Amino acid sequence: MTAAVAVGVLVAGGAYLVLQRGLLRVVLGFVLLGHAMVVLVLAAGGDRGGFALPGNGAGAPADPLPQAFVLTAVVIAFAVTVYLLGLLRAGAPDPDADPDDDARGPS
Amino acid sequence: MSALVVAPVGLPLVVAAVLLLAPRSTVLARVLGIGSTGLVVVAASVLLARTLTGEVPVVQVGGWPAGIAVVLALDAFGALVLLLTASVTLLGLVYAVGTGEDRDRTFTPLVLVMSAGVSGAVSTADLFNLFVFVEVVLIPSYVLLTMARRRQRIAGARLYVSVNLLASTLFLGGIGLLYGVTGTVQLGQLAGVAADNAPAALAAALVLLAMGIKSAVVPLHSWLPGSYSVAGPAVTVLFSGLLTKVGLYALFRLWSVLFDGDRRFLWVLLVVAVLTMVVGVLSAVGAKAVRPVLTAHMVSQIGYVLVGLGLSTVAGLGAATFFLVQYVLVKAALFMVGGAVEVRYGTDVLSRLGGGLVHRERWLAVAFAGSALALVGIPPTSGFVAKLQLATAAAADGPWWVLLAVVAVSAVTLVSMLKLWNGVFWGDPPPLPAPARRASATLVGPPLLLAAGALLLGLWAEPLLTASTIAGGQLADPSAWVAAVTR
Amino acid sequence: MSLLVALAVLGGLAATAPLLTRILGRDAGYVLAAGFLGVAALLAAHAPAVLDDRTVDWSAEWIPSLGVSVALRLDGVSLVFSLVALVVGALVLAYCCRYLSDATARGPVYPLLTLFAAAMVGLVLADDLVLLYVFWEITTLCSFALVSTAGAKAAGPGRHALVVTVVGGLALLVAVVLLTLATGTTRLSAVLADPPAVLASPYAIPIAACTALAAFTKSAQFPFQSWLPGAMVAMTPVSAYLHAATMVKAGIYLLVRMSPLFAGQTAWSAVLITVGLTTALLGAVQALREHDLKGMLARSTVSQLGLLVAVIGVGTSTALAAALLHTMAHALFKATLFMLVGIVDKETGSRDIRELSGLRTVMPWTAAATAVAALSMAGVPPMLGFVSKEYLFMGLLSADVTPWAGPVAGALAVTASALTFAYGARIVWGAFGGPVEQPELYEPAPAFLAPAAVAAVVGVVAGPAVSLLDPVVDSATTDALPGSTPPSVYAWHGLSPELAMSAVTVVVGLVLFWQRERVDAALQRLRLPDGPALFTRGHDALLALGGRVGAPDRSASLAAHLARPLLAVVALGVAGAVALGPLPGRVDVGDPGRWVVVALLAVAVLGTVLSTRTVALVALVGVTGLVVALWLLLSGALDVAITLLLVEVLTAVVLVLVLRGAPHRLPAAGPRRWPTAVLAVAVGVVAAGATAALTGRRELSAAGTFFLDRAEELTGGTNVVNTVLVDFRGLDTLLESVVVGVAALGLLVLGTTTVPHPTDTDDVLLRVGTRLLAPGMLLLSAWLLWRGHDEPGGGFISALVAGIAVALRQLASGTVPTRSWQQPGVLLGAGAVLAVGVGLAPLLVGDALLTPFAVLPFLSSALVFDLGVWLMVLALVVAVVQALGARPRDELEREGVAA
Repeated sequence: MTAAVAVGVLVAGGAYLVLQRGLLRVVLGFVLLGHAMVVLVLAAGGDRGGFALPGNGAGAPADPLPQAFVLTAVVIAFAVTVYLLGLLRAGAPDPDADPDDDARGPS
Repeated sequence: MSALVVAPVGLPLVVAAVLLLAPRSTVLARVLGIGSTGLVVVAASVLLARTLTGEVPVVQVGGWPAGIAVVLALDAFGALVLLLTASVTLLGLVYAVGTGEDRDRTFTPLVLVMSAGVSGAVSTADLFNLFVFVEVVLIPSYVLLTMARRRQRIAGARLYVSVNLLASTLFLGGIGLLYGVTGTVQLGQLAGVAADNAPAALAAALVLLAMGIKSAVVPLHSWLPGSYSVAGPAVTVLFSGLLTKVGLYALFRLWSVLFDGDRRFLWVLLVVAVLTMVVGVLSAVGAKAVRPVLTAHMVSQIGYVLVGLGLSTVAGLGAATFFLVQYVLVKAALFMVGGAVEVRYGTDVLSRLGGGLVHRERWLAVAFAGSALALVGIPPTSGFVAKLQLATAAAADGPWWVLLAVVAVSAVTLVSMLKLWNGVFWGDPPPLPAPARRASATLVGPPLLLAAGALLLGLWAEPLLTASTIAGGQLADPSAWVAAVTR
Repeated sequence: MSLLVALAVLGGLAATAPLLTRILGRDAGYVLAAGFLGVAALLAAHAPAVLDDRTVDWSAEWIPSLGVSVALRLDGVSLVFSLVALVVGALVLAYCCRYLSDATARGPVYPLLTLFAAAMVGLVLADDLVLLYVFWEITTLCSFALVSTAGAKAAGPGRHALVVTVVGGLALLVAVVLLTLATGTTRLSAVLADPPAVLASPYAIPIAACTALAAFTKSAQFPFQSWLPGAMVAMTPVSAYLHAATMVKAGIYLLVRMSPLFAGQTAWSAVLITVGLTTALLGAVQALREHDLKGMLARSTVSQLGLLVAVIGVGTSTALAAALLHTMAHALFKATLFMLVGIVDKETGSRDIRELSGLRTVMPWTAAATAVAALSMAGVPPMLGFVSKEYLFMGLLSADVTPWAGPVAGALAVTASALTFAYGARIVWGAFGGPVEQPELYEPAPAFLAPAAVAAVVGVVAGPAVSLLDPVVDSATTDALPGSTPPSVYAWHGLSPELAMSAVTVVVGLVLFWQRERVDAALQRLRLPDGPALFTRGHDALLALGGRVGAPDRSASLAAHLARPLLAVVALGVAGAVALGPLPGRVDVGDPGRWVVVALLAVAVLGTVLSTRTVALVALVGVTGLVVALWLLLSGALDVAITLLLVEVLTAVVLVLVLRGAPHRLPAAGPRRWPTAVLAVAVGVVAAGATAALTGRRELSAAGTFFLDRAEELTGGTNVVNTVLVDFRGLDTLLESVVVGVAALGLLVLGTTTVPHPTDTDDVLLRVGTRLLAPGMLLLSAWLLWRGHDEPGGGFISALVAGIAVALRQLASGTVPTRSWQQPGVLLGAGAVLAVGVGLAPLLVGDALLTPFAVLPFLSSALVFDLGVWLMVLALVVAVVQALGARPRDELEREGVAA
């Protein structure tokens, strides 16, 4: 249940940011959505792991497959986020354009 | 055999890496790029011949047991799409020589990576692996989009990247949910799971939604015109032949395997398909430059293909496959012609071109006329055979409004193509200054070849029809593929 | 077989026409005409067999998968139509030899005309429904191409004609598809032999309606008639051949062909008779209003086709015989009239009857030929036109749809015919009557006049000799209406109702001609709708609709495009909530500590949503990441937690680099705050619901159990997650590294628009700290890489650690790595070679891709693979630092710093 609430909160926040003006908020919204997917995929493996630190044997070991998925997804998302930020940087805003909105698609 | 299945993925990747390490040389890039893609085409042809006999070549990556290893497998449908995408990549690379876009050092490696990703996406039988392969296709496309010199390329790239990122996120979510319900991401083990398990059907629907965004299905298609209109000409050709096709392939494969014959939701597919056809063609008729018209037609033709999926009979799926193959070729030809006009005259806006190019660009006009006829579906082109097959399947198994839509959209497509013909080629000699040199063979050759191919396929349609019917049959009944994948 | 030869010869003529014109110039037309007559002779040679009710056919498979074959069949109907097409074609081609100049003749006209003839003959010979459709559309295409040769002014009329006829063609396609479905075959003769199968099927009405629609568009019937006058912009031979004698007859042919199926049906008869007679009247009235000779002939064609349609609708054997007879007569006299008008146009330079006058004196033979043809058109004895019109009247009178149908139809036909007489007289008088105004003109050359004159003479002779045609018409009628007794065809029927009707026609026509000024004035005041203008308005409306439909796609705001998928997700969620049945029980272990973390998360997310300053937003997103990492620790996912933390740190660094110089305040929220919030919350609710419903309700998966139990024994590593990444699912990791590498490339490509520009940092602490930390971090990275297989660590984590070191150095000192081995491209290439090499190497020994092996006794392939991954991820970080550590070139230029 906690996973569900966590996912819901992150998705709601991420979706809100993604729909805002300004590419920075869009990118950060995607970061939040990415976190949501991390929580969701791990929850899909079953919320069974115990607090894990080296030497701690409490709790059944968590399903490793979703962890592998998540690792891959996190790195891919990082690569894309970084690239998107590069696009943010590269599209230095036109001085005549609306300074409030740099998340403009082509019209 | 396993080398053949791996080659379309491995070879382009290796060549791309070599090109990055090698000293900068456009000639080397052209030779290696076109050469390796040619080899991939050969491999795909051999694979197609094998799969048409009913065989399903399988590779268990890493040698691990079934259910653990990632499996690469090809049936007739997969092999057909593989051959199709490899051929488009090959012609696209040749065309890029003509437009000059491949002079950029990173162009050919990026195209090769994209091609490897598409080949892998078509070959994989693992859902998460499909996700990763789709990302492998997408990332180079992000970069290729920004390489053009058109205005607003950054804005177009932002739109394209954002929408695809959202689609990828939804895809991942769907995979996660599906794993949560079923405990596996292997497609063979997931066979039929959505047909009798409602939660699994829901998760599968989310995955299909994500694929629908990537396939530019209405109403999720709005990103396509804005993104494709800012890419370079050769890049647009490659995109049209590769990107949305991955989405379509995934839609077909996932529907076939996950929903395995469930007929409860077919009406949704049919409604979406007809909507896509209609909205696409109307947007095309109202657009004012060559590329937006062609992009909107892409959406419309995707709707045609989805009609076949929505009918879900062997006839319908076979018709969808045939339609898919011939439409990719025709669409590539049309984009090539549009791109050639842009490259030589600097614009593709109809009001600025003013018509009359038939006097100067004889071969381009011929290529356009042939491809346009195939797009509308006028005999004796491949588009006609495809439309006939689809109409027959729709009349036999679908509601009447599907047949009506197939025919009516065809008529509006004619109006749109006529508008392009009159706006670009027909009329008095143009006021625009003529380019210095004649159009090169690499610029005019590929579209002419494709247009001739469309005519040939129309007159001698039987081989491809047989192949499509076999592919359609295997989509309707994927048990052979499932068995091979889970062995 | 000879049917195939006939088509092949025609096709061959079309292909060789360019060569012929190169050698012979415009005289190539004579060769082509001879070819046509040869083919006609070939077909006519089969006439005895056909008349004897033996059929001549040939077929070969074309598309077996769809059951389509190339099937040709010669029976009475097809014999009539094909001979008409070929003989008139020969005449028109002979005419072209003098009408065209040598330059025009070298253009596409001859090949197109020949190709068209081949398609037309193919159409009437086709015994396969799909083949018929194919030829139908080819004739449409040829017509469009021929009209287009008139130049730019033909764009509008060409479009009008093409669209209307293609729409009709598509209707024919629908009819073909439905017919195939209803009868199970595409063979036309089989379909026609089995009317009950068609009529009993549910598709009967659509088939009939679509067939009629196709015929109406092709034969220019009301309300589709307006394309034909527009097509008159084409040159006269084209008008004479296509738009008078052959292409427009294709619709007539179709209706005759389908008569066995529908002739007895009341609705069919009613529709055809009504539309036909309406068209006949409308066309005749419009012809009488025209001043352009070609325009009059076009309207006249429309009108005559209307009569044909009406009489086919009647459906009795007399009526069908009349239709066939009149088809032949009309083709003859109409083609003749067109050719003569063309002669007048060429000789005088005008086609307007208001300008022409008195040509009978300077061109007596032309005038005579015109008069003869016009008399045939008007239905005056002893012309063939008179005989056919008599039969038309006979046929219409025998209409039995309702008791009064016959007389009414007859009366309307008489009216139309009277008008025909009037405009026929108008044509002859307008051009040739009146005082001479251009005495310098002279008779055209005999070769020019001959084809038209020959046709005119045939029209005169064939009238009295019409009984020669009796066997042909008989055979055709029985083919069109199996089992019926055709009337016998002869010239003089004695005093009969039809004769009276003809007499009335002539009298009324003479009166209309005598009062022509008054009639003219009255008609000019009549306002009729302008067909082409209506079509153009419709066309433009369609384009405008399209523009509006496509408008949302051109929206400039990103949110508009992103909102749609989110809405779709909400819709899916709602559908799921409604449709979801009972779910299995939850299996997860609850943990109260988690709720605290969730609460922290909620606060952080709320903060990001509400923040208005850039720094706050970035910081809060970072906090969110930390909370999620904490969550991951609580769930037992140690590797993932570490990776997420490192990624957060790197992202923060990148954000700092990117946002230098950016405004401190974020752009204000748009006008749609509340709907956006509602949508976002809805999506969140759907996500939460899906997570709750679809996860945590089953035991550990089979794959998970396998990995946990057997990973160590199979791979030698105790860090199960790492073994999954590099051993079991190495393909995923390899591909993901490729993704990372391409992103690095992409940043380098973007970076070409930037300039390395050292930033100035006087933060001594940062500099010194970095210089101390960096070597340590690199060592840590190596250690993490080495131990990854057994303990938390591995390729990604170690590479990220190294990456942080690099990034911190950039932040602190502002320099970019300059040594060549530190360039991202090299790192990328090396990493790719390692990883892909290790992956592909097993293929060389016959193992599957990515099978683990020992590279050296202590060095597993997994480690080498991880090293490759390490290099590629590091390449990304270096590329990021290089690309984003610089500033955009134009920004620098704006600040006046030289690039």
